[in-house]
Amino acid sequence: MDTLMNLFGAAVLAGTPLLLGMLGEILTQKSGHLNLGLEGTMYMGAAMSLAGAYYYEQWVTAAGGAASGFVACLFATGAAFLIGVLASLLYCFLTATLRADQNVTGLVLAIFGTGFGNFFGELMGIGAGGYVTVGAATKAAFANPAFPSLAALPVVGKLLFGYNWMVYLGVAVALAMAWFLNHTRAGLNLRAVGENPATADAAGIHVTKYKYAATCIGGGISALGGMYISMVNTGGVWVHDCVSGKGWIAVALVIFATWSPARGLFCALIFGGLSIMRMYVPVPGLPMEIYELLPYVATVLVLIFTSIRQSREHAQPRACGTNYFREER
Amino acid sequence: MKKLLALLLAAMLLCLSAGAMAEAANAPIAKEDLKIGVLHINDSSDQGYTYNHEAGYLKAMEELGLDTETQYVPKYHIGEDDKCATAIQELIEAGCNIIFATSYGHGPYVLEAATQHPEVQFCHATGELAVTAGLPNLHNYFAQIEEARYLAGIAAGLNTKVNKLGYVGAKPFAEVISGFTAFFLGARSVNPDVTMEVIYTNEWSSATLEAQAAQALIDMGCDVISQHSDTTSPATTAEAGGVLHVGYNNDMIPAAPNASLISARIDWSHYMKYALECMMSGEPIATDWTQGWAERTVYLSPLNTAIAAEGTQEAIDAAAAKFDDGSLHVWQGPLYDSEGNPAQIMSWDGSSVVYTFSDEVYEEPNSAPQFNAIIEGIHINE
Repeated sequence: MDTLMNLFGAAVLAGTPLLLGMLGEILTQKSGHLNLGLEGTMYMGAAMSLAGAYYYEQWVTAAGGAASGFVACLFATGAAFLIGVLASLLYCFLTATLRADQNVTGLVLAIFGTGFGNFFGELMGIGAGGYVTVGAATKAAFANPAFPSLAALPVVGKLLFGYNWMVYLGVAVALAMAWFLNHTRAGLNLRAVGENPATADAAGIHVTKYKYAATCIGGGISALGGMYISMVNTGGVWVHDCVSGKGWIAVALVIFATWSPARGLFCALIFGGLSIMRMYVPVPGLPMEIYELLPYVATVLVLIFTSIRQSREHAQPRACGTNYFREER
Repeated sequence: MKKLLALLLAAMLLCLSAGAMAEAANAPIAKEDLKIGVLHINDSSDQGYTYNHEAGYLKAMEELGLDTETQYVPKYHIGEDDKCATAIQELIEAGCNIIFATSYGHGPYVLEAATQHPEVQFCHATGELAVTAGLPNLHNYFAQIEEARYLAGIAAGLNTKVNKLGYVGAKPFAEVISGFTAFFLGARSVNPDVTMEVIYTNEWSSATLEAQAAQALIDMGCDVISQHSDTTSPATTAEAGGVLHVGYNNDMIPAAPNASLISARIDWSHYMKYALECMMSGEPIATDWTQGWAERTVYLSPLNTAIAAEGTQEAIDAAAAKFDDGSLHVWQGPLYDSEGNPAQIMSWDGSSVVYTFSDEVYEEPNSAPQFNAIIEGIHINE
């Protein structure tokens, strides 16, 4: 029982960076933009969130004060979100305005962001003379349960309330996005832009505005996934190559979640769980190399089933990946 | 016919020149003519394996009075693939007369290059190909890190409250297994009740996986976490989980001041200094080289006295003194497996028994560790 509870907890933690990355990409793809630069955006978010918290701390300490963990969280979140927005703004400018190929632009962003993250992460490290690391208050703010009093409850406390605040942020973003896409006029418009921008345009929807807004906010959310990696997984220390492929997995998870934020919650949990299950539930005789493949086998199965079902509702937005030329209508 | 003759002549010439160069390999090289190429698997911003290597090499060059600007040619991010062959070629073209390869998987490429370039000396860390290849210009080197791990294990054994240690291992290789067994034996030497859980990440360097493995160990109830993997995330995870940590490669106290007790390290400068001095004197470099605690080729970062239990430093010092005078050995038999049988070291492919533990001390035949027995008290989670 204890093992299962621990497994669930670890699955939630393993799934959260993927969830945030995936949610940002879902919002982006709903606008008809296939942003393959997620890995890069997450790297940038990882480095900049650390920079935000670290330089805030340096600044406060230099002024003779004591850094507050809460404010450091705000700075980290703000910096990560901002860099995510900026990276996506660049992507939008290239694809929506200059009509560059989305695949190529996305790949370029992935490569650029990886270099950007590692470069600035290391630069901070060199500046700090070795490790760049945040203070104890900030570390605690990211590591400790968000609701300490509820977390003390038996069983439920650990299962539901024992996580750091970013886990709840991820859940909240998923629910808010599900509500936005399915129950608001703007959400409907956005989906229309992603499915058929020409029709949306004819209906009086400002296609470019929607594309820019969704992609930029999506990029900001994805960057928070990177922030989770540098602030929670590596504990507020810059580790070279820390994102290492999580962004690509998040892109694949968008398909796993069939472009539904609510479903994404479960997919992230399942994928996160499968990825760490071997550490909690060893299966005697099953080589760990095979065990490690489980999440990918699950993804392949989902791909097979969704392609067999061919449900319109659970498919990629139809205009995703193609740029919209108004003159070509 | 003419073509054949030309070909034959060219082949003869090549052989002759190769022979002449091989001869020249043992001639002393003046200090200012030394040019050192190094293949790094990462760059020193990893604050771990590569950082430690580069720091050691730079130290050796400084001590010998070499110019690190012009006589040191580092190649960074050289993976264990074709990139390695290209990098070696570039180093040779740059005029390097000695090339250090730092990663195990560089081995096959170094071997190939050593066959083709007898005029260049090749030194390969953690590998074992030099012994079997028998080339005069191919050498292996490593350090007896198990001795430093044993001493670091003493810190773990004295600071665990629940007598359960956790270890994040990179891969199920002899290098990792001998490392965690030495760590465990050190802990057990001061705390007979201690047991240890091991989780492999199957990656040398993966921040997230290492953090997850460390968390899984904490969830199992381990209260001191150690590692044979390249990042600091086991240390920071230990700190977030309120347990202690013992590091590797670098002092990890700055990354996790409330968790990191001590780290086992290697001073790579000792080997480079030795190899370069051989080059300068014309002496042949040893085919296989290793040194341990007595020479301080392996050492410990300072103990974190703010969190360590009282008496930890004294216990480490006592054991260290015994390494110095040769009265303590890490691989002192008898050792048993989980079923109570004498522990056995298997060949790398697991097909035959290489050594069975008795009351004797087991001596590693090569610098690259061979010890791969899983002894009682250690539980592998796979």
